[in-house]
Amino acid sequence: MGGLPTRRTVNGFAVNPENPKVMFAAMRDGLFRSADAGESWKPVAKELKNMAAVAINPKRTDEVYAASEDGTLYVSTDGGTTWTERR
Amino acid sequence: MRFDNLTRTVVWLLVAVAAASVFQPVPAAAQHAKPAGPPGFEHVHALTVAADGRTLWLGAHAGLFRSQDGGRTWQSVRLPAKAPHLDVMALVGDLRDSRLLYVATHEAGVFRSQDGGGSWSQVNTGLGGLDVHGVAVDPNESSKLHAAVRGQGEGVYRTADAGGKWVRVDDGPAGEVKVLASVNISTGMGGIFLYAGTAEGLLRNPDCF
Repeated sequence: MGGLPTRRTVNGFAVNPENPKVMFAAMRDGLFRSADAGESWKPVAKELKNMAAVAINPKRTDEVYAASEDGTLYVSTDGGTTWTERR
Repeated sequence: MRFDNLTRTVVWLLVAVAAASVFQPVPAAAQHAKPAGPPGFEHVHALTVAADGRTLWLGAHAGLFRSQDGGRTWQSVRLPAKAPHLDVMALVGDLRDSRLLYVATHEAGVFRSQDGGGSWSQVNTGLGGLDVHGVAVDPNESSKLHAAVRGQGEGVYRTADAGGKWVRVDDGPAGEVKVLASVNISTGMGGIFLYAGTAEGLLRNPDCF
């Protein structure tokens, strides 16, 4: 159990509707992913910082969107493993 | 009645605690995608993808925005309210009906659209305050929602009729709520969990209150 920064703000949260144990948390420290309903977490990409919100496409759950506080949008099409900035 | 952390009516459990990796500083990110005209988001609070898989909704200090090209361009969507400015704090759609969307605001409570954002109604009956920081739809029962109100009337509210009437059911988690989600994981007691992203971390509680 663990992996999220302690006593820090969780700004955004998203759950995979096909597998609810898979979830993402958006924080200033970055974006974190859990595959066990939040028991453990891992950061998903070093380039993501100051994250404000995250969402999973319910039609294609490998497609994940994350937004930073300033509005920069990032997209992953492999379930959060790799990310590209949406321009 | 307000309870302190030791005597809260319901105990919200911290989902995960431990030291985390610290990211290296990165250069400031580039501009967000937007067409000519719409204002900047200013500060993003919420993001969701509609059930159709094509429509993105974004809530920000500057209001509500919609994209239908995967976030490359955004259109501002006006909510009907007396307040000159609405800070959109939370968004939630329905997993089966892409036309249904709930929008929680800092100033004017909860708005509901049943036609993909074409028209809106305020659904605040029973809410003790209009500063709503989180809204969640039950994935198994789309007319059942929870909302987190901050400030006046602070607490967690539940509706069983898609916002027709809200009832306060709990003080809510400690710390300012930033996001609320109903998660389809069984509690073993006939319900599912309500997760809350807060200023003190990620917490969860059975939604059986």
